[in-house]
Formats: sequence, C-alpha cells, structure tokens
Amino acid sequence: MSVLTPDHKMKLPGGPALQTLRQQAAGAYARTGLPGKRDEDWKYTDISRMTAALGESWWLTSETSTATDTNNLATIDAVDGYKMIFMDGRFEAQQSNLPSGVQLLPLSELLAKDDSKSAHCLFKLDESAPLFNGLLAANSALATDGLCACIGDGVQLDKPLYVVHVGNNTAHTLNGLMLGKGAKATLIEHFIGTDSDTAALSNIATYLRLAENSALTHYRLQLESDKQFHIGRVEVKQARDSRYTLHAVELGSALSRADIVVDLAETGASCALNGLFVASGRQHIDHHTRIDHNAPHCRSRENYRTVLDGRSHAVFNGKIVVAEGAIKTDSAQSNGNLLLSKNAEIDTKPELEIYNDDVKCAHGVTVGQLDKNQLFYLKSRGLSEEEARQLLTFAFADEILVAMDIKAVRSFIEKEAFAKLPNMSDLEGMLT
Amino acid sequence: MKQTDLWKSASKAQWDKGMTMIKIENLHASVDGKKILKGINLEIGAGEIHAIMGPNGSGKSTLSNIIAGRDGYEVTAGSITYKGKDLLDMEPEERAWEGVFLAFQYPVEIPGVNNTYMLKAGVNAKRKHQGEQELDAIDFMQLVKAKAKLVELDQSFLSRGVNEGFSGGEKKRNEIFQMAVLEPSLALLDETDSGLDIDALRIVANGVNHLRREDRSIIMVTHYQRLLDYIEPDFVHVLADGQILKSGDKSLALELESRGYDWVKEEEADRIKAA
Ligand SMILES: Nc1ncnc2c1ncn2[C@@H]1O[C@H](COP(=O)(O)OP(=O)(O)O)[C@@H](O)[C@H]1O
Ligand SMILES: [Mg+2]
Repeated sequence: MSVLTPDHKMKLPGGPALQTLRQQAAGAYARTGLPGKRDEDWKYTDISRMTAALGESWWLTSETSTATDTNNLATIDAVDGYKMIFMDGRFEAQQSNLPSGVQLLPLSELLAKDDSKSAHCLFKLDESAPLFNGLLAANSALATDGLCACIGDGVQLDKPLYVVHVGNNTAHTLNGLMLGKGAKATLIEHFIGTDSDTAALSNIATYLRLAENSALTHYRLQLESDKQFHIGRVEVKQARDSRYTLHAVELGSALSRADIVVDLAETGASCALNGLFVASGRQHIDHHTRIDHNAPHCRSRENYRTVLDGRSHAVFNGKIVVAEGAIKTDSAQSNGNLLLSKNAEIDTKPELEIYNDDVKCAHGVTVGQLDKNQLFYLKSRGLSEEEARQLLTFAFADEILVAMDIKAVRSFIEKEAFAKLPNMSDLEGMLT
Repeated sequence: MKQTDLWKSASKAQWDKGMTMIKIENLHASVDGKKILKGINLEIGAGEIHAIMGPNGSGKSTLSNIIAGRDGYEVTAGSITYKGKDLLDMEPEERAWEGVFLAFQYPVEIPGVNNTYMLKAGVNAKRKHQGEQELDAIDFMQLVKAKAKLVELDQSFLSRGVNEGFSGGEKKRNEIFQMAVLEPSLALLDETDSGLDIDALRIVANGVNHLRREDRSIIMVTHYQRLLDYIEPDFVHVLADGQILKSGDKSLALELESRGYDWVKEEEADRIKAA
C-alpha cells in the first residue's frame, strides 16, 4: 500500500503551511514506496520483515498502547544530564528539567505556538539527498514530536542533553539540533523498549547543524526490545572547523537500520563515527554511512565493530565521497567483525569515490572468529569457557568503548552488552 | 567406601612429599593422525622438580599441552592421574582450578585483556571452586604487587594487555609472575629459559626457587643444562622421539650437555636389539 493514511488517532501537529509540507512528503512516499531488494542500498536488508510483523498499514500507531510505568524505565541513572523523555513519540513534560540559556522545546509545542515556521525546515524533504528513501518521507509526513534545540553562539553546555525515547508503540519522531558558532554540546539519544509483546516501529530522523567551530558529541544508543523495528536517519551538516563525534551502539530490536549522512561542507570540518553492534538470535542490524568531503582540509574517521552471535546478520556500508575541490582530505575507515557463530552473517562494504588526487584515504575490513590460542590461554588461567569468550569479545569491542568519554554511558553499555563478564569494575583506578 | 569417595577425602589433604602428584602411564598421542607421543611413563611426587630434556620436535611441548588440556591432540592410549583424579577427563579451566599451571613456550598476546583483570578472574574462579571466599580488589592488588616484586616485574606490566607488546624475555617473566599469583600444585615450565639473557634467567630462576614447596611439583622442559645450574632438579629425563629413553639425576643433564642426545638414542637402539 502506498498511500499514507493517518488515522484519526494520529493528531498531526502544525498549521496549514506545515500540513502542505506533510502532504508533499506523503506524495513523495506514494512515488517511492518502501525500499526493496532492487535498491542497491537495501540489498541486504529486507524491510518486508517489518511489514509482515506490523501489517499493511505499518505506519499506524496501535490503538491499544500499553501504559508504561515511567518510573521504571531502563534509563542510565548515573548520567548527570538534562533529561527528556519521549513516550511513544510524545513528550512527557513532567519528566524533564530543561536547561536555561538554551532554546529547547519539544517539536509538538514548537509547532503549536510558533508562527515563524522555524521548525518547518525539518519537514522539507530533499529527495536527491544521499540514502533518501520512503521511510524518511513517511517520517516527514507523520512525525508527531521530537526534540528541537538551539545552542546559542559560544554556549558550552555544562551537561549532556539526555533524550530517552521509549518505543512501545509505533512512532515517527523528528529531532533537530543546531549548534551556534563555537558552541559545544553532548547529545545522548537513548532508544529503549519495554517488555510489551506488540511489534512496533520507531522511525526516527535527527538533523544536526554545526556552525563554525562548534563541537557536538552524539551518543546514539539503540536498546529496543526484540519485538521492535528501528529505522533511523542522522543527517549532519558541518560548517568550517566544526567537530562531530558519533558513538552509535546497536544492541536491541529485531531489525534496525540507520543511515548516517555527514556533509563536511566547509574547510577544516572533522567527524568521527564510532559504531558498535552486538547482536544475537535473529537480529538484523544495518548501518549505511555516507561522508561527503565537500571542502578542503576536512578529516573523517570511522571505526565500526560488530559482534555477531546466533543467526544474526549485520550490514555495514561505508561510503566516502571526496569532491573535486576537497584537497588535503584525510580520511580513514576501519570495520572489524567478529563472528561468534557459524550461522552469523556480515555484509560489509567500503565505498570510496574520490575526485581529486590530493587525498589520504585509508580503509580496512576484517572478519574473524575468536582466537583459539587466546581462548586456551585464558582457560588455562582458570577462566571458564564462557568468561573467556566474553572477555575476548569485550577486548574486541574495547576500542569503541574506550572512545566513549562519558563513563556512566560506557559502563552501562559494557554491562548491557557483556553481562556475563566477571565483575572487574572494582579494579578500576587501582591500575596506573 | 567407593574408590572416588576415598580420593575425595584424600584431595582435601595437603599433597605432601612422598605422595604422587601426577602419574602418566603409557601415554600415546597423535596430531592429525601423526603419532607424537609413543608410550610415556612418568611419575612425579609432591615437592619434586623434574627436568625433561630432549631434541627439538621430540614431543616435549605436546606433553605439556596435553597435561594442561589444550585440544587438537588425540590421546590414543594411556592415562594421566593427577591428585588421584583422571586428568584427561577435565576441562582446561578445571585443571587450573585443581592447581595445574602451564608456563607457555610461546605465550600468546591478548590485546585489550588486562593482565591483572585476567589474573583476578582466574584466582577467584579457583577460590570459588575450592570453596574459599573470593578476593576483593584491594586484597588482590596487594597480592599481585607482592608477587610482581618476586620476579622483579615492573608494576607497569600489571595494567597492560596480556603480553601485549612484551619482549620475549618479558613474556617469560610474566608467565612466572602468573605462576606466583595462581600458586599451582603442578607447574609445567615449557622452555621458560629460552630467549632469556643471563640476568633475566637469574631473576626467573630465583622466582621459581622461591616458589618451591613441599606440596608443589614442577616439570621443567628445557634444552639447556644452563637453567639447571640455577634450579636444581631432583630428576632428569630424556625425551626423544615421543618416549622417555633415560632417566637419572642432575648428572645426566651434564652428560647430555657434553655428549648430546645421540648416544642416548643409540643406547636405546642397542637395548631393543638385545631384547
Ligand atoms: N598442532 C600440530 N600439528 C602438526 N604437528 C604438530 C603439532 N604440534 C606438534 N606437532 C609436531 O609434533 C612433534 C613434536 O612437537 P613438540 O611437542 O612441539 O616438540 P618439542 O616441544 O619437543 O620441540 C613435531 O614433529 C611437531 O612438528
Ligand atoms: Mg617445545
């Protein structure tokens, strides 16, 4: 079915001008439809798994949403940040204490009170954008809420913005964050599920704009339940000398696909994308990343590690495009894959398109299993098979984990991903 | 009382001098169908140090690995009894919990796995197995620091990845350090002396001598008589072509040093002819 018909329950915020934009997006969806196997970018990810679980009208929010106990969410309590909670794609105001000196509103409120149309740009689709697809069009047509934040020039946010998205019902969420000149901030997007048995979709788009010399550290933590489907898009546009760091962690959901699209638009901009997938069972995780070097002297770093057990399947596609004028480009990409079971599968592909000679582009891919000699060594020291395997797996992921600069997030992820490790945290600080 | 119950009560006691620590009987083993060990018989009492010498490729590491439980070897005949239990029936980690320790000839590097972290997991798994309370971080660090001194291992090695970027000599020293921390009943030192300069050899030997105990047995695999100047063995065995051809006291090592291994093989050939 290619007509997005929101039902009466989906109250779509926004005045007439915005409804026009929504209709345009619905039109784009009608033309594009859902991505299929014919699309080169969706060759290894079969979205029919989602429609099979959610039905023909996959975009609809279910009538019977189970109430969630907001006091009992698996959030990272140790994070000291400005916390906001979106429940089924709707902002729960009482949960959050918003920072001063920063403009920050949930999208629904902004659309309700704002005549200046400042949020409308989030809804404007560029169908020629890299990795554009029907799911993104559906997001624009149907988005009900999200985070809209503007960090002013020179503002250095003292604590991270900690945004929790609880997805136990289908939601289309649209986030926008702008950093002014020289501003500095950390955004933690944490997607959690509940133990509800109903299948649901989280369709999340996040647009990030970094002005001159600003710096953003972005945690994107996907820990939804195994009944859920997660579709994400992160679009970053970077001005001169801005710095963007992504820590993308994929632990949950039945099927999760994220498109990370970075435009290094001006001289001296740099980005670092760190990714960690830990999947098992029949989980399917797919990241398509696209970095455009559109200006001279830009730098990009990409390091993805995947750990796959059971019959899980991961896809990593890292495309880097270096434009003609982007001289002195410095780019490096690395993707390591650890297969813990012979039924696990990885499809990994670096793609480089380089249109000038004055560039440094390195890339490397490895696919392997746990090392038998290392396993035996650890067991000979008294570690059980399971402990030894977990420890080696943990070591494999270590590079990505140590790059996380918020300790509370890092220990949380370590615990979630490597639950069976013997407790060693008490050694911390004792080793110099 | 059933045989196994007897052994259970026995294993609670100290393995004191005079008791058998390990007994290897008629051990045959192959790798990929190739026969490597061809009937090894060896009995080691508690508190004894045995040196196993022999030419390259004679099966010394194979024997050590089989005792420690490495897979890839097929035991086609024979048995190994350790502290009265069937050793070949145990997983490598169970052997470690029961006090078997192998100092590897070629210790593997494990980047990302912290040396101390690994040892703490090992020590506490063993303590748990023995019904003892696990050590907390403070007690453990105290233990580890004391043992590092014993082998003159710089403290900086404690926070590094297991053998990560260690020189050959540092790796060997790290093995003896681990032995000191894990306090085994039976330690197998597979060519711990090779690749060590004379100062490092003295330090390592010193460490091993400190670890000599009435209830601890040591098997030293070596090429060189040199190590035996520092660590005096009770017995010396010659392993050649998968068999122990000759056993004696430490004077045998001196004889091997001056005459090589061939005469032992010739003697054995003559013995077979005569029989
Ligand atoms: N994994 C293996 N695969 C094939 N052959 C092996 C393997 N391990 C040992 N061997 C062979 O077994 C013999 C004994 O090896 P080893 O026990 O390492 O001898 P040593 O330690 O006495 O030098 C050698 O011929 C060696 O090539
Ligand atoms: Mg050897």
